[in-house]
Amino acid sequence: MHYQGALVTQSGTLIILLLGVLAVFFYAAKQRALNAAGGASGIRTLHSLPRYYGAYAVLWAAIPALVALLAWGFFQDPIVTKLVVSHLPPQQKSLSEAELSLVINDIRNLAAGDRSLDAVSSQIALAAEHYKNLHATAVAAKFVVILALAVVGGLFAWSRVSPRLQARNRVENIIRGVLILCSVIAIFTTIGIVLSVLFESIRFFEYIPFTEFLFGTHWNPSTNSFGAIPIFTGTLMISVIALLIAVPVGLMSAVYLSEYASNHFRAWAKPLLEILAGIPTVVYGFFAALTVAPFFANLGHSLGWDISPESALAAGVVMGIMIIPFVSSLSDDVINAVPQAMRDASYGMGATKSETIMKVILPAALPGIVGSVLLAASRAIGETMIVVMAAGLAANLTANPFEAVTTVTVQIVTALVGDQEFDSPKTLVAFALGLVLFAVTLVLNIFALHVVRKYREQYD
Amino acid sequence: MNQAVEFEEMEHEIVGTVGTPLVDNPKMSTRNVDVFYGDKQAIFDVNLDLSANEVIALIGPSGCGKSTYLRCLNRMNDTIDICRVTGQLLLDEEDIYDKSMDPVLLRARVGMVFQKPNPFPKSIYDNVAYGPKLHGLASNRAELDEIVVTSLQKAGLFNEVKDRLDALGTGLSGGQQQRLCIARTIAVSPEVILMDEPASALDPIATAVIEELIDELRENFTIAIVTHSMQQAARVSQRTAYFHLGKLVEVGETNQIFTNPSHQLTENYITGRFG
Amino acid sequence: MSETTQAVKKSLSRRYRKEKIFRATGMAAILVGLSFVVILFVNIISKGYPAFEQTYIKLPIHFDEQTIDPQGERDPEVLRRADYMGLVKESLREAFPDVKGRSDKRDLYNLVSKGAGYDLADRVLADPALIGQTQELWLLADDEIDTFVKGHVTHSETIPLAGNPVVTDNDGQLRITGDAVVMDSLQNSLRDLVPVEMADEEETVMLPDDGPSVLLELQGGLVRITAYDPEGVTGKVVSPLKPDATDAGWNLVLHETPEAERRVKDKTIFWVRTLESRGLVEKHFNTVFFTSGDSREPEQSGIAGALAGSMLTLIVTLLLSFPIGVGAAIYLEEFAPRNRWTDLIEVNINNLAAVPSIVFGLLGLAVFISFFGLPRSAPLVGGLVLTLMTLPTIIIASRAALKSVPPSIKEAALGVGASKMQAMFHHVLPLALPGMLTGTIIGMAQALGETAPLLMIGMVAFIVDIPQGFTDNATVLPVQIFLWADSPERAFVERTSAAIMVLLGFLIGMNALAVFLRKKFERKW
Repeated sequence: MHYQGALVTQSGTLIILLLGVLAVFFYAAKQRALNAAGGASGIRTLHSLPRYYGAYAVLWAAIPALVALLAWGFFQDPIVTKLVVSHLPPQQKSLSEAELSLVINDIRNLAAGDRSLDAVSSQIALAAEHYKNLHATAVAAKFVVILALAVVGGLFAWSRVSPRLQARNRVENIIRGVLILCSVIAIFTTIGIVLSVLFESIRFFEYIPFTEFLFGTHWNPSTNSFGAIPIFTGTLMISVIALLIAVPVGLMSAVYLSEYASNHFRAWAKPLLEILAGIPTVVYGFFAALTVAPFFANLGHSLGWDISPESALAAGVVMGIMIIPFVSSLSDDVINAVPQAMRDASYGMGATKSETIMKVILPAALPGIVGSVLLAASRAIGETMIVVMAAGLAANLTANPFEAVTTVTVQIVTALVGDQEFDSPKTLVAFALGLVLFAVTLVLNIFALHVVRKYREQYD
Repeated sequence: MNQAVEFEEMEHEIVGTVGTPLVDNPKMSTRNVDVFYGDKQAIFDVNLDLSANEVIALIGPSGCGKSTYLRCLNRMNDTIDICRVTGQLLLDEEDIYDKSMDPVLLRARVGMVFQKPNPFPKSIYDNVAYGPKLHGLASNRAELDEIVVTSLQKAGLFNEVKDRLDALGTGLSGGQQQRLCIARTIAVSPEVILMDEPASALDPIATAVIEELIDELRENFTIAIVTHSMQQAARVSQRTAYFHLGKLVEVGETNQIFTNPSHQLTENYITGRFG
Repeated sequence: MSETTQAVKKSLSRRYRKEKIFRATGMAAILVGLSFVVILFVNIISKGYPAFEQTYIKLPIHFDEQTIDPQGERDPEVLRRADYMGLVKESLREAFPDVKGRSDKRDLYNLVSKGAGYDLADRVLADPALIGQTQELWLLADDEIDTFVKGHVTHSETIPLAGNPVVTDNDGQLRITGDAVVMDSLQNSLRDLVPVEMADEEETVMLPDDGPSVLLELQGGLVRITAYDPEGVTGKVVSPLKPDATDAGWNLVLHETPEAERRVKDKTIFWVRTLESRGLVEKHFNTVFFTSGDSREPEQSGIAGALAGSMLTLIVTLLLSFPIGVGAAIYLEEFAPRNRWTDLIEVNINNLAAVPSIVFGLLGLAVFISFFGLPRSAPLVGGLVLTLMTLPTIIIASRAALKSVPPSIKEAALGVGASKMQAMFHHVLPLALPGMLTGTIIGMAQALGETAPLLMIGMVAFIVDIPQGFTDNATVLPVQIFLWADSPERAFVERTSAAIMVLLGFLIGMNALAVFLRKKFERKW
C-alpha cells in the first residue's frame, strides 16, 4: 500500500533529522563542559567526564522526542479516523460497527490513492479528502513537534552544563530508569494478556452465558451453540495420549542416560533427543497429517477397525513425540539432583542398580518428575499447529481415540482465521477459550514450578 | 635436626607393617592390596586381617587412605569408574573380587555405615525394612516387623521411635538418623560392619551413644571403624591400625598402640606432631 | 553359610533378570526416541529433495512480431501483455501436428506451465531484439508433467519388441498381428507384464477397462490393447498411427495405475515420452523455488516471499528483544533490590516462558491490531508479538550469563572507583556478552519456527509479491508451510517438504552457531 511506503520514508527522514539534532547537542554540551574546565587538562575540576555532559544533553533532547514519536505512531491514525468519522453525515455515523469499519476502510483506501474505488458516494469522497488533509497536517505537526521538543530539551540541558552538574549521576539514573522499564515490560505483557483476553471474553459472555459455555455439551458455532465440554474433553484426550507416549519413553530415557550410560554415549544421545524439541510444530503437524494419520487409518482398515483419518490417536502420538524431550530433560535434572549419598546407602546394602533406581532414586525424585510431567502436560494442552493440521474440526464428545475430536486451540484458530466480523460471538469465543487456556496452563505451570522448587530445596 | 627432616627420613622407613597385622582364623583377610585412582596410587601393598567379633579401628592423618581401604572390603569402590583394586581380599577364605563373587551378595554380608547419616526419604519402618525386603529375608509381614523391631532395638533406637515408625526417617535428629542407618545395616544380618567415621558428624552425646552401641554390636558382628578421633579408637576398639600416606605402618592391640607404639611415625601421630 | 547368605543367593537370579530387563527398557526408550528423529528426517527429506529439481521442456519459440508488437512501437506495456502463451501453443502444435480436437489440444497445451508466458515476456522486455527471432528455449513444464516425470503418477514398464508388426483396421478397432518373431516377442512380453493369466492358449483374453493401461507404441502412434489371443492383439487408437513413419521399433508399455485414477492420461504420457525420446525433456535445478513467491500453480511457487517475510520479522524481533531482554536482565540481576516487586517480576517472567504461543497471538490481535490499528499481516506486528514471546528466553539466558561472571571482577572495578553502572557496562557486560548472544540466537531460532501467533495476526493471506518493507503484507516460512500443507497436489507436497528442509536447515545452522559460540567463549573461571 502506498501509505505504508510513504510512512517509512517519512519516518526515515524524521529519524535522520532527529539524529542530527542529537549529535549537535552532544558535541555542544561536551564542548561547553570542556570550556568550563579550561581545556582538557582541567577535566578534574568537572564532576563527570565531558562525554557524560554530552550524554546528558542527548538524553534530555531524545527522550521527549521519542515519546512523542511513539505517541504519534500509535495514536495518529485512530485520532484522525475518529475526527473524520465525527464529521460524517448522521446516517453513516449510526451504522453498525462492522459496516462503519468498512466505510472507514474505503475512506482510507481512497485517501491513499487507490483508484479502484471510483464509484463511491460524494460523502465518502469528501471524507477521503478530509482524511487526506488531516493526515497531512498530522504528519507536518509530527515533524515540527518532535524536532521542537528535541531542540528545547537539548537547549535546556545545555544551559545547565557546569562543573558542578553531576552529569554522570543524572545520566546513570536515566539509564537505570530505562532498564527498569525493560524489566517491567514483562509485567505489562502479562497484564496485557490478561486484560485483553478478559475484556473480549466478557464481551463474549454478554452473548452466551458463562455456565452454558463452561458446562454445555453441544458445540456448533454456526448454530450459536457454544457448550465447550466436547472441546475440553477433546483437548484432554489428545493430551493424555501424548503423555502416555512421552512419559514412559522420556522417563526411561532419562533413567538410562543418568544412571547407566557412559559419558561418551550421553554426550551424543542427549543432544540428539533434544532435537525433537527444536523442530517447529508446523513440521510435526505436516508429518502427522500426511504420514501418521493415513498410516493409522490404513492400519485400522487392514485390521477391520474404523480409524478416522483425523483421529485423536494420530495427533496424540505425534504430540507425544514432540514432548519426549520435555519429560526426559527435566527428569534427567531431578534424577541427577538426588544426592550420591542415597545411592551409596542403597548399594552398600547390596541392592542392584535397578532396585536402587526403582526403590530409592525415583521415589526420592518423584516430586520433580511429577513437576516435569505437569509442565509437559501444559505444553500439550497449549499446542496448536499439530492439532490444527491433524485433528478434526467438529466437536465430538467421546472417549474413543480412533474418532476425530477437536481441541481448544483448534477452535481458537478457526474462530479467528475465518471471515467473520470481529464482534460476533463466533469470533469472540476465541478469547473466551483463550482465557480458559491461559488460566489452566498458568495453574499447571505455577503448580509444577512450585513442586520442582520445593523438591530442590529438599536436597540443597 | 629439625622436625621436618626427621619426618622425611622416617618416610623411607616404612618397610613392612610393624606389629600384628595378621591373625589366625581371620574373618576377612587382605594381602598385597594396591588401589589406584587412574594413574595415582592411593594404597600401597597393605596386608591386614580382621578378626571375627572384634572391633578394629583404622586411624591416620587425613587423606592417608583409610576410607579408601575400607571401601575395598565391600567393593564400594566399584561404583567409582577410575578406581582399580589389586591384591587378594578374602571373606571367610573366599576371594571377594573373584568373578564368581556377586557384589550384591557381598554387600549383604558386609554392611557399611557412612560418615554423614543418609537415611532414605522414607518412613523409619521402610528404611529399616529396605534391606530385608530387597533380599527376601522375610516371608511375610510379621517376620518383617520382627526384623525391624529387633534391628531398631539392637541399634538402641527403638524406644525413641516405637510410636512413630511411620514418620519420615529424615525428620530425626542427627544422632538418631545415624542409629537408624545402623539399624538399617544390621537388619540384613551382615557378618561384618564397616563404619566410615560414623560419629564425626554428631554431637558429643550422640557420639557417646554410638560408641556404646558399637561395643554392644561386637557380640554379633565384626566391625572395622575408620575414625579421626584417637580417643574414640581407644574407647571402642580392640586392635588399631595406623595408616600413613596409603601405607599400613603399624597394627597392634589398642592399648599398646596408644601407650607404647613401636614405630616412630605412629608415635608422632599419636602425640600430635601431625594429624 | 549364614541365613542371610542363603536367602540372598536364592533371590539373586531373579533380581539380576529384573536388572537386565530394566536396563534394556531404558536403552529401548532411547532407541525409540532416536528412531522418531530418524523417521521424521528421512520422511521429510525423501519427500522434499525431488522438489529441488524441476522438469523443463525444450521448444522452439518464434517471437512473432505480429503477435507481440503489432504497432512496432516497442512499448513496454504492450510487450508485457502480449499473448506469449499463444507462441508456446503454436510451438506445441508444430511438435504434434496430428493432435486435433478442442479437448486434445487443451491437454497438449497443458504440457507447459502457464508461467512460461511470464518467462517469455521477461525475456522480450529484457531484450526486445528477440522479436522476430526463433530460439530453442527450455520452458517450465506443468506440475502434473513434472510429477509424472518424477515417477509419482504411475509405475511404468517398457519392453521393446522385435520384428515388424502388421496393422489392420477393423472398423475403428485395430488388429495387430505378425510373423513368428513378432508374435513370440509380443506374447512373451505380455506374459511378463500383464497379471492376467492365459487360461487357455486358444482363448481371447479381455483386458479390463478399469485396469492398468497396456499399450503399444508403434508407427509413431499409440494403441491401447483391449484384448489379445494367440493370433494377435486387438486395440483402440489413442494417438493416430503414421504407417509411413520411419521409426522401425515398437514397444509394449504398461502403466500400472488405471487411467481413471490418475490426472495424467495415456495420451499425455505418450507425448511426454515422445519428447523425452527426442531429448527435449530435462530436469533442471529448481531456481523458481527460491526466486518466486507463492502461487496457485505449484510449478510457479516458491519460498522467496516467505523467506523475505521471515527475515524482516526476525529483524524486528531481534532489534526489539535483544536490547529489552538484556536491559531487563541487567536490571534484575545487578540493580534490583530484593523485594516483593522484583520477585513478582521474576515469577512473571518464568510463567511467560511457559504460556502457550497462541495466547500471545490473541494478545497481538487484541492490542496491536484492534486497539492500535497496526496493519495486519505485517512483519512489524509479527515482530512485536514474537518479541514478547522471546523476551523471557533472552532474559533468563542473559541472567544466567551475568550470574556466571565472578563477582570479583565487579568488585575490582568498584575498588578503583567505578560506579555500579560503569562496573556493569565496562566490565561485567562484555564478559557476559557471549552467553547472552547464545541465548539470543536460540531465542531467534525458536521465533523463526513459530506459526500459531502469526496466524492470529493475519499472516494467513495468499501473498504473491515479495515484501520489501516492514509494513508490507507478508507471510513467514512456517505459515507458508502450513498453507501449502493443505494443497493436495503432489507437487505441493514436495514443495512443502522442501520448504521444511530449508527451515530446518536454518534452525540447525543457528543452533550450531550458538553451540559453537558457547564452546568458543567458554571460560573456566
